[in-house]
Amino acid sequence: MTESFDQAWVLLGVGMVTVFSVLLLVVIIGNTLIFFVNRFLSKEATDSSGDKPSVGELHSAKVAAIVAGVKKATGGRGNVIEIRKK
Amino acid sequence: MEILRQLYDMTAMGEIGETPGVLLMILIGAVLLYLGIVKKYEPLLLVPIGFGIVLANLPGGSMDVVPSEMVELPGHRYMNLFEIASEYGIMNFVYYSLIKTGFLPPIIFMGVGALTDFGPMLRNLRLAFFGAAAQIGIFGVFFGAIALGFSPKEAGSLGIIGGADGPTAIYTTILLAPHLLGPIAIAAYSYMALVPVIVPLVANRLMTKNEFRINMKKQDKLYPPKYKIKNIKTVKIIFPIVLGVAVAILVPSSVPLLGMLLFGNLIKEIGTATSRLSDAATGPIMNTATIFLGLAVGATMTAKVFLDFKTLGIIVGGFLAFAISIAGGILAVKGYNLIAKKKINPLVGATGLSAVPMASRVANELGLKHDSSNHLLQYCMASNISGVIGSAVAAGVLISILG
Repeated sequence: MTESFDQAWVLLGVGMVTVFSVLLLVVIIGNTLIFFVNRFLSKEATDSSGDKPSVGELHSAKVAAIVAGVKKATGGRGNVIEIRKK
Repeated sequence: MEILRQLYDMTAMGEIGETPGVLLMILIGAVLLYLGIVKKYEPLLLVPIGFGIVLANLPGGSMDVVPSEMVELPGHRYMNLFEIASEYGIMNFVYYSLIKTGFLPPIIFMGVGALTDFGPMLRNLRLAFFGAAAQIGIFGVFFGAIALGFSPKEAGSLGIIGGADGPTAIYTTILLAPHLLGPIAIAAYSYMALVPVIVPLVANRLMTKNEFRINMKKQDKLYPPKYKIKNIKTVKIIFPIVLGVAVAILVPSSVPLLGMLLFGNLIKEIGTATSRLSDAATGPIMNTATIFLGLAVGATMTAKVFLDFKTLGIIVGGFLAFAISIAGGILAVKGYNLIAKKKINPLVGATGLSAVPMASRVANELGLKHDSSNHLLQYCMASNISGVIGSAVAAGVLISILG
């Protein structure tokens, strides 16, 4: 039992450090890519506001409005699984 | 009379009467079917699982999954799939070829990747850290599970329920404690269906009214981001490739899940050139995988396996893992707010566990309840998506240390 608890502490330490490290990596990779793309591969009029949706995406307020509409229309039983632009 | 007796012997009624546990299992299957069909709780999974339980527990149907010892041959060898099918039936063929090999969960992850948009996370990268904090339940509940008498491998499988990710929970359990696959899959999907109940339950206990009202859009206006993304499409295409390689080097055991997730995302982001692949991954492939996964997981739940003290431990422990993960995310944001100028709504931390996108939707509605202009969806999606990556990495750690 004591051995298992020791293993639990190791797992907690190693697990959380690894998860934080990988997500730190996500942040670093993301920031580096954004910097690199902004500098060398930037395109005019693409996501210039940073908040505007690109093709295939919707603004969060619109998504929230659609979700709220569906909830109301179905009495809270319906869920929005996918929203497609046509 | 003799004819009637022979007719009775031919049916399964006699065996059902002799083993009352079978009736209880059929009832459990019926409850899951009810939850899936009538209450619409995760119907895509609970309906196949519920029906799989019913099929597996009807005596004489040979639709129950047999323990791996029964397909083992002398000299650490196993029966081939043809032998398994002819000896134990088609459900064992499905289980041992698609589930036991760990094939289906990564396939489903590919579909999840093709449905995932990394955009909200890339626009709010610092929020990704809260996807890590919300994995604390996975490792935290390990201690309690050990104290309850679970083996380390079983405790690891139980803990992964806290990641709120069905395919990850199933994949980890297949590799660590396959005999607990049924109860763990049921607990994982049931608690995911209960996200609209569990997130508010934990958030209301840990957050003040002022914290619920922290408006992220206003914070963005007060403290604007340092830079804007000028070409999000290119970033989204390169991101899964670079991240996949980096994670494969750091945590190789998470690659089957994370690699397929990122591949699915890549074929989605490339656009029209690979849209047929993306459509296949999110449609026919994912749906077929879900059917076989659900039925086979249900078929593992025979009375002998399910009606056990450990099942109760899994149900209680799974809830604790879930609640601790949500609390971990909320507390991490609260801690961050103590030192940061730009405040973050702690609901963003609560969505650090996976359950995409339901957790984000629930957090968004909670935020709107306290301030009708407080739309948190895109911020919650940032930590929510990073939570998917976090739980897959946590699974990789569990597998590499305990496996």
